[in-house]
Amino acid sequence: MTAMRLTGYADLFGVNPGKKINFYVNSNGPTKYKVEIMKMINGDTNPRGPGLLEELIPAKCNGEYKGRRQVIHSGSYGYALDKPQFHLESFTMQCWIWPTTPKTHPKYWRHGAQGLMGKWENGKGYGLFINEAGCLEVRINGHSITTDAPIRDHAWHFCAASFDAKTGQVVLYHEPQIQYALDPTILPVKTVLNTKLKNAEGVPFTVACYTGSMTKDDIAKSSRPQGVVMAGHYNGKIDSPRLCREALSRQDIETMKLGAQSGLTERRNSGPTGELSKTIVGSWDFSDGINTIVGKDKGPYLFDLAIVNCPTRAMTGHNFSGHNFDWKHAESEYGAIHFHDDDIDDARWEMDFEWDVPNGQNSAFYAAKLTTADGDEDYIPFWVVPEIGKEQAKIAVMVPTISYMAYANEHLANNAGGAELLVYRVPIMQDQNMYLSEHREYGGSIYDTHTDGSGICLSTRLRPILSMRPKYDHFLMQAPWQYPADLHLICWLEQMGYEYDCITDEDVTYDGLARLEKYNVIITGSHPEHNTGTQLDALHNYTQQGGRLMYMGADAWYWIHSYHPSYEDLGRGVLTEMRRCESGIRTWRADPGEYYHQGTGELGGMWRYRGRYLHSVAGTGMSSEGFDISSYYSRTEESNDPRVSWAFEGIEFEEKLGNFGFVGGGAAGTELDIVDTMLGSPPHTMVVATSAGRHTEAYLLVMEDFGFNQQGLDGTQHPRVRSDIAFHETPNGGGCFAFSSIAYCGSLPWNNGDNNISRLTGNVLNRFMQDGPLPDAPKEAYIHRGRADYDPPSNKA
Amino acid sequence: MRAIPKKGSAERDRLIAEHKACIDSMKGVAGCTILRCETPGDTTAVSGGIHEDFVLNRVLLRMRAAMPANGKRKLVVICTEVDKSWRIGRLAGVRGVPPEFVNDKIYDNEQDPQHDIFLMRLDEMEETDGQVEHFHEGWKRRDDNWTVT
Repeated sequence: MTAMRLTGYADLFGVNPGKKINFYVNSNGPTKYKVEIMKMINGDTNPRGPGLLEELIPAKCNGEYKGRRQVIHSGSYGYALDKPQFHLESFTMQCWIWPTTPKTHPKYWRHGAQGLMGKWENGKGYGLFINEAGCLEVRINGHSITTDAPIRDHAWHFCAASFDAKTGQVVLYHEPQIQYALDPTILPVKTVLNTKLKNAEGVPFTVACYTGSMTKDDIAKSSRPQGVVMAGHYNGKIDSPRLCREALSRQDIETMKLGAQSGLTERRNSGPTGELSKTIVGSWDFSDGINTIVGKDKGPYLFDLAIVNCPTRAMTGHNFSGHNFDWKHAESEYGAIHFHDDDIDDARWEMDFEWDVPNGQNSAFYAAKLTTADGDEDYIPFWVVPEIGKEQAKIAVMVPTISYMAYANEHLANNAGGAELLVYRVPIMQDQNMYLSEHREYGGSIYDTHTDGSGICLSTRLRPILSMRPKYDHFLMQAPWQYPADLHLICWLEQMGYEYDCITDEDVTYDGLARLEKYNVIITGSHPEHNTGTQLDALHNYTQQGGRLMYMGADAWYWIHSYHPSYEDLGRGVLTEMRRCESGIRTWRADPGEYYHQGTGELGGMWRYRGRYLHSVAGTGMSSEGFDISSYYSRTEESNDPRVSWAFEGIEFEEKLGNFGFVGGGAAGTELDIVDTMLGSPPHTMVVATSAGRHTEAYLLVMEDFGFNQQGLDGTQHPRVRSDIAFHETPNGGGCFAFSSIAYCGSLPWNNGDNNISRLTGNVLNRFMQDGPLPDAPKEAYIHRGRADYDPPSNKA
Repeated sequence: MRAIPKKGSAERDRLIAEHKACIDSMKGVAGCTILRCETPGDTTAVSGGIHEDFVLNRVLLRMRAAMPANGKRKLVVICTEVDKSWRIGRLAGVRGVPPEFVNDKIYDNEQDPQHDIFLMRLDEMEETDGQVEHFHEGWKRRDDNWTVT
């Protein structure tokens, strides 16, 4: 099978007509490749459907380009550029560590020693390491001194190493924070070396890695600092690193745990004495600037570290007391950064071509299609988004780009042991999965765990996102998912001849109501699961002011996201953050005290647990999920109500709605939403069709809906395992129609759009897209309704 | 934990036949489960399989969660050409090491490998697992051979 030799990304998701978009390409082998800008219409190659549909767009950038290899230097670390003060004769290095992979499998992608801190390269300098055998080690030039005591993973240890140039004495301390009854005592290792420290010019001081090489090779242009390629990326937490220019006594080392405290007077501070303070080169405090990508130095020289590839911050430190979960209220207990060898914030590739998007370019899904004569291929998706005030249509498709980022480059089929239990069959991997399984430097998704097993809670769009591609079937459904699944919706809009604009999650997040208010109707994607607060505010304001919302999927408005503020200079919405907290569908679970976002400081997790019920946004919220096959809907009696019967014109009451489709074979499938007035569905919401009673054992009730594990939760048993198609009116002539199933859009283009799902959706869209407020509901519909005021027949018996 | 029916037993043959019938009926569906479509390739009405054969249901759950006992890792399907060809591979279990093909057999549909993997697992998995006699150090350290996400 061919490996992917072309991969690429753009600097933008959404580009306005009249603006420029840049593209970055890795061509690993091909000397040249062809670029064609395509309008994307359908990305599903299922032989029962219309097949891939794309239209060549005349663009100045179309043509042939010279290929060149570009690589991603993943793995997070901190560095300070070389300064005379880092050139030492004697030293003491110290820090707290909580390593996650002190010893790795020989075939592990980055097997070998891990750098904790120091200024060391190729046998010159000083550094504190975890060696290949998983033991603490200090390196002095080419000498390695180790404790030979394997470090316990997922545990705090205090580490220190000193070297006295005058006596040649080296002392290495490894002090576990917790000593269990049968742990051997780890005594300080002392030895004498007859050597003089070699301080190589230009080698930076590093934390969580060491300097691998310094090179003018083009490949190193995308590393930071440019031309310095790091090695030995560390997996785990580091807290309170200190560097002093003398070999300190153990007592002075203990004092230095408190850090530098400048301006010592009789009235303040309790830190090192003046004598001890004179030795300080750097004293880093990662609890300061948690929402930044700077590692603050509180020492005399202010050697702040540049933090590369966005490791996870707002992590509990060695002194976490468990009394306060919000880092903003207990910063001193959050002095740890969790570094990972597969962290990535920006691929930092050189630009290969650009497109000046002409004024007046139609808003749509686009992609730069890259091909070679040998059959290599990749697509770089993007969207042309009209500027506010220059809307091109009455309909806007809100492209769920945060959700695309959340799913970006997921590895679940390869790494999640329970993936088969979830999908109820053996997963199918594609080219993209195979490539990613080998190229961990492309980073994972927010569904994955890092290569050290900890959860991934940050995702950048400045990298090739191979899961966001046409012709890509996701293992979850053996069918399109997210981007290619949303193209089913686009395909149908095109089949039916609708004119539509495309806007992205980031547009709504940053522009709020202004981005929405000129449209008569907003259509969502199939699975807009991940959202920012301002985006939900905008949708609320829009529907309250007469806007119409067509919610085309399920499991939406679920997770709290925020864009990291430190990347705003690179554009909007570059890096998104999410924490998987106390409940919800969690492929990993945040640790205690690590629920708050590092970027914005807001509480992460589910919107539900911040009092923003999913069901309040468009009328329905997630109830269940299963990924084997899909089913269909039947109309309920409520569909005959004149408030909503217009939606079923041309559809018989007894018809099976959507017993066909390109996702699971039916319109009701994968993840399902229901009406629940106790969880935020407006009390006047109508259920017009439901798939109740038709799902398989693979479908299970969401865990946030029950308090303890019990039998009876699957699709063959539990009445909440169903999808409800629902409608409710909003004030000022607005309304929401919720189709409540991720598979729903997969039925739209079936039989070239001639089907009852297409008819239902068309009826709704035709009504919702009209100018002016929707017709008022009949007078008798205006009645007082409670949330839990259903009167069961048993009350009347 | 449900035992794998012995080779040559009527129960094993029954499971194989039911699994095959389900897989054959799923051809054409953009998805797959071990149930029989009343109309092949159409999920409107499904029955049999995991919903009606309790042993098949439990054996499949065990196969999905657990590793083979021979130290090998989990089997997976690999699409080698979109909508055209598929092969069976085995996961490496080490981050950064891609799956490897287990044989040369190429499938022209995405459902048949599911059945072949079922047959391979019947042979690869120990008859019993998860009993007291299987206890080892790994049970204490999240290596109890029953994976969850």
